[in-house]
Amino acid sequence: MTMDGTQKTPMKRSELQMARSMCWHCQSEITGEYFCEQCVKVQPLSKEMDYFTCLGLPRLLNIDLGALEAKFYELSRTFHPDFYQRKTESEQSISLGNSAMLNTAYRTLKDPIQRAEYLLRLEAGSAKDIRTSPPADLFEEILTLQEDLEAYRSASDQNPAAVARLRDKLTTDRELLEQRQREMDRRLFELFTRWDALHSRQSRTDPASPDFQKDATAVLKEMREILSNRTYLRNIVNDLTATTA
Amino acid sequence: MAYSDKVVDHFNNPRNMGSFKKDEDDVGTGIVGAPECGDVMKLQIKVQDETIVDAKFKTFGCGSAIASSSLATEWLKGKTLEEAQKIKNTDIVQELNLPPVKIHCSVLAEDAIKAALNDYKKKAEEKK
Repeated sequence: MTMDGTQKTPMKRSELQMARSMCWHCQSEITGEYFCEQCVKVQPLSKEMDYFTCLGLPRLLNIDLGALEAKFYELSRTFHPDFYQRKTESEQSISLGNSAMLNTAYRTLKDPIQRAEYLLRLEAGSAKDIRTSPPADLFEEILTLQEDLEAYRSASDQNPAAVARLRDKLTTDRELLEQRQREMDRRLFELFTRWDALHSRQSRTDPASPDFQKDATAVLKEMREILSNRTYLRNIVNDLTATTA
Repeated sequence: MAYSDKVVDHFNNPRNMGSFKKDEDDVGTGIVGAPECGDVMKLQIKVQDETIVDAKFKTFGCGSAIASSSLATEWLKGKTLEEAQKIKNTDIVQELNLPPVKIHCSVLAEDAIKAALNDYKKKAEEKK
């Protein structure tokens, strides 16, 4: 039973979504942020809302982690299913949906790499041609290293001196790769800062200016490249560490 | 999520693992990677009179990626270049019963086939 005494069947999530600008319950226009000001019912977060907006942050890459956490806790309290146990099924379902989205948004933005991957997905529409060509040199290098690793794994019955030499080589290789990883991360964080500077310049001047688009695409493209190569490197470093440790 | 029996079989008994010499005229090599998971796949074909007489692969990645490339080499053997071009990732998905999260492994195998074919064709063009 609802407050006005009528029996209502719970609404499907899709119906709830469509009624975003209008309260799903009392059909009045929504002025409040998460609750209808007329009937005080909780409102579903729009599926189209990006995670930055969801957590009240500008679309930047260097973010205030304290502010992120504070907003996350605040919204968690607002939407937590525990507080909706005595409400209608529709409200329970909204509370569940909102909490799930909130958790994903928080997890994604908290981690700098996931944050950057997410931003790239968001911006992929505006900055075309973000796809980069596969790093052929890196592939060759990884294949060679993997072959060395295989040789080492099957060399245990050979003479100890040869095994030790192979092991030393792989350890040196790993150290060099780790150095490259650190260099990549340093470059990545430089790009974070460049993106943020571009972004704040954009809000002051004309966002559609060709100059901005060109600069933004260049930054995003390099970021895409580093993030991809980073994954390949991480895998081979993990394999090296696991085998030679 | 469990791997299908076919994936496990290809993973435990990979067919045609290994490599040919890259710089030989009758060999086409495709090396591709999936930036999402960091898998790297090398697939090679040996061609005589427009027909693939042998194929080999080396894949460093998950079970599905290994199974996809192993299956691809099995299918490639005996096919003409034109027939090989028609192998689709969806054929691999079907044969191996890959779940949605592993579809990119079959895409990787298709990309590797295309890359190997292109590499061979480029070499053949240059020889003319």
